[in-house]
Amino acid sequence: MPADASLIGTELGVERFPLDRSKLRELAIAVQDEDPIALDGRAVPLNWPVLVQHWRPKGSIAEALGLDLRRVVHGEVRWEYLAPVGVGEEITARRWVAGVTSREGKRGGTMTLVSVQIDFTRADGTPVARQTDTIIETAG
Amino acid sequence: MTDVGTRMPERVIGPITRTDLVRYAGAAGDMNPIHHDEEFARSAGQPSVFAHGLLTGGMLAAQVAGWLGAANVRSLSLRFTGRVLPGDTLALEGVVEEIDEVAGERIAKCALRVVRQTGEDALRAVATAVVT
Repeated sequence: MPADASLIGTELGVERFPLDRSKLRELAIAVQDEDPIALDGRAVPLNWPVLVQHWRPKGSIAEALGLDLRRVVHGEVRWEYLAPVGVGEEITARRWVAGVTSREGKRGGTMTLVSVQIDFTRADGTPVARQTDTIIETAG
Repeated sequence: MTDVGTRMPERVIGPITRTDLVRYAGAAGDMNPIHHDEEFARSAGQPSVFAHGLLTGGMLAAQVAGWLGAANVRSLSLRFTGRVLPGDTLALEGVVEEIDEVAGERIAKCALRVVRQTGEDALRAVATAVVT
């Protein structure tokens, strides 16, 4: 299935997950954070939205969109922080396709850029963050 | 006081190992085989496995949080501009480029980058944050 503009608005699922201390600690160790509070899992780091990936069904977003994993490049990520979140909070993440554009690749073929947005809210519905990913399927 | 030209404390991380990539894959739940399966990476035309953009991005995010305070950061935009390969050493750099006064707050716009030992950028980023 080639990605095209008809995908815009496609819902890619809703996940509910806790910002639990053990995962925050593991993430801080993995990115070689130097902050002892972060390394103890007691601070919420700026990259906390990545943790939603543990709660998705098996398989990547790129696969769900029908993109060829051998040609997929993660181009950009933007995080906007809308309200503070605390360790242990229950977060809901709603993911959808915000945009699809195609352009000619430098060496021929078609390159496709898919923009995927995730809206994060806390239990009472307050928006806490927004993530926008640009996923590129290079010309092949 | 934070002003235009104020620099982020520099940090050097590395050399990056395959174990670092596997640890991040597990911590973040990103199991794209291109980051841990050598055979798969080669079949995709890569010289070897390479780091998740968000591993490098997470390293930079931690440094930004240490510099500006996570609670003050309003946005962080990461653009992945090059591959980070096992054996690479990364330098994390940042500088305040602009300060805007918005509704009585000072908002700093910071240009950030992660540079490989080859001198090439692996990541370019922009952070906005409330500063004093």
